[in-house]
Amino acid sequence: MPDRTDAAIATDALVIGAGPVGLFQVFQLGLLELGCHVIDSLPAAGGQCIELYPDKPIYDIPALPRCTGRELVDRLLEQVAPLVPTFHLSQRVNTLEACADGRFAIGTSAGLRLVARTVFIAGGVGSFEPRRLPIDGIEPLIGRQVFHSGEPVASTAARHVVILGDDEAALQYALQLALASTDGPASVTLMHRRDSFRAEADTIERMRAACAVGRMRFVAAQASSLECAGDTLTHLVVSLADGGTEALRADVVVVLWGLSPKLGPIADWGLQIERKQLVVNTETFETSVPGIFAVGDVNTYPGKKKLIVCGFHEATLAAYAAAARVHPDRPGQLQYTTTSARVHRLLGVAS
Amino acid sequence: MTHVVTESCIRCKYTDCVDVCPVDCFREGPNFLTIDPDECIDCAVCIPECPVNAIMPEEDVPGDQQHMIKLNADLSRIGWPSITKRKPALPDADDWKDRTDKLSELIR
Repeated sequence: MPDRTDAAIATDALVIGAGPVGLFQVFQLGLLELGCHVIDSLPAAGGQCIELYPDKPIYDIPALPRCTGRELVDRLLEQVAPLVPTFHLSQRVNTLEACADGRFAIGTSAGLRLVARTVFIAGGVGSFEPRRLPIDGIEPLIGRQVFHSGEPVASTAARHVVILGDDEAALQYALQLALASTDGPASVTLMHRRDSFRAEADTIERMRAACAVGRMRFVAAQASSLECAGDTLTHLVVSLADGGTEALRADVVVVLWGLSPKLGPIADWGLQIERKQLVVNTETFETSVPGIFAVGDVNTYPGKKKLIVCGFHEATLAAYAAAARVHPDRPGQLQYTTTSARVHRLLGVAS
Repeated sequence: MTHVVTESCIRCKYTDCVDVCPVDCFREGPNFLTIDPDECIDCAVCIPECPVNAIMPEEDVPGDQQHMIKLNADLSRIGWPSITKRKPALPDADDWKDRTDKLSELIR
């Protein structure tokens, strides 16, 4: 077994995934006085609620007849705030290994190392990663001349920039470059496979206006290959929607296709898996490895329903099971938040 | 349960769905994509990606598309390759995108 415990952050509990179920997991752990760290691959908490449906209403949260994904996440963050969990965002958990002392060593893509007495996998459908432009030979250009959603873009001043995308973020970015008053690019081309956009009507109108006055250009096409001079990209060859091909001057290509989830390394952690989901015991929501729990969309058990409210239940029972593991000497007494002076102290409210 | 690709996909094959699938459960035929029911984890991420609304959860498949549940399962087992990256739609996809009764057009 590896010894990765030196110089790592020690914690009672580590929650992987800051979606709604991960956040409620943090709350329940906090009520049971387990110190908690949270890791998420996105730069902000919220998971699928924020990435996939921030503005769509959710109707099946108990006592909240209607709220958007964003509102739900804001409320959960407010709920966990008194318990002061530590968030480690914009990094993915790559490794999870058992240590000789019964704890777990965790390593992230940002080089962070933690040692946790219990681990809660609230990973949903995986970590959200940029949707990449699938073209042969693109790999060596990524980070130099080709950039994807969420990645910092190199200087665009006096360079030919091609932006791929059809949503608000893509159009706003194209407009920002096209209308720049200083250090503007040599040219701005927005490309999407058809002439229709998923953006605000006003933004689409401004983009069309910028095209009409020659500040930028829109091309309905799909990228098909790259032309390079040595190891430098010069042109993006595209198949036009109305037939034919064109080689677009391209010093910088920015692919703003958003993020999509990938289950990622969860499958490599030696846990029992069924149809790519973690099998759990419904008494404790523990996986096949004692001390590692799985809650929310990432788990499976007889009767499983992928609903946020079910994830909240799972997180609650998992927290009690974890508390019994971390503090076997303490009685696992149920404390009602309405009456418990201890809970009131934890939440910073008057009894 | 699983998710199911219905007839709307036939002769279009826009492939937006495959980009977002977290478990790479799409299989590609000549003019249709199918979901391998043994791989799909019912995350529903692909549903809004399809420009012709071809994908739906098994329990929402309407009566006139019920045969597609078994067909998705069958086509997943005849050796169609896995598809994990978006590619251009079929050339005349836009001419076929509004048709939902295209089973006779399916090429295995």
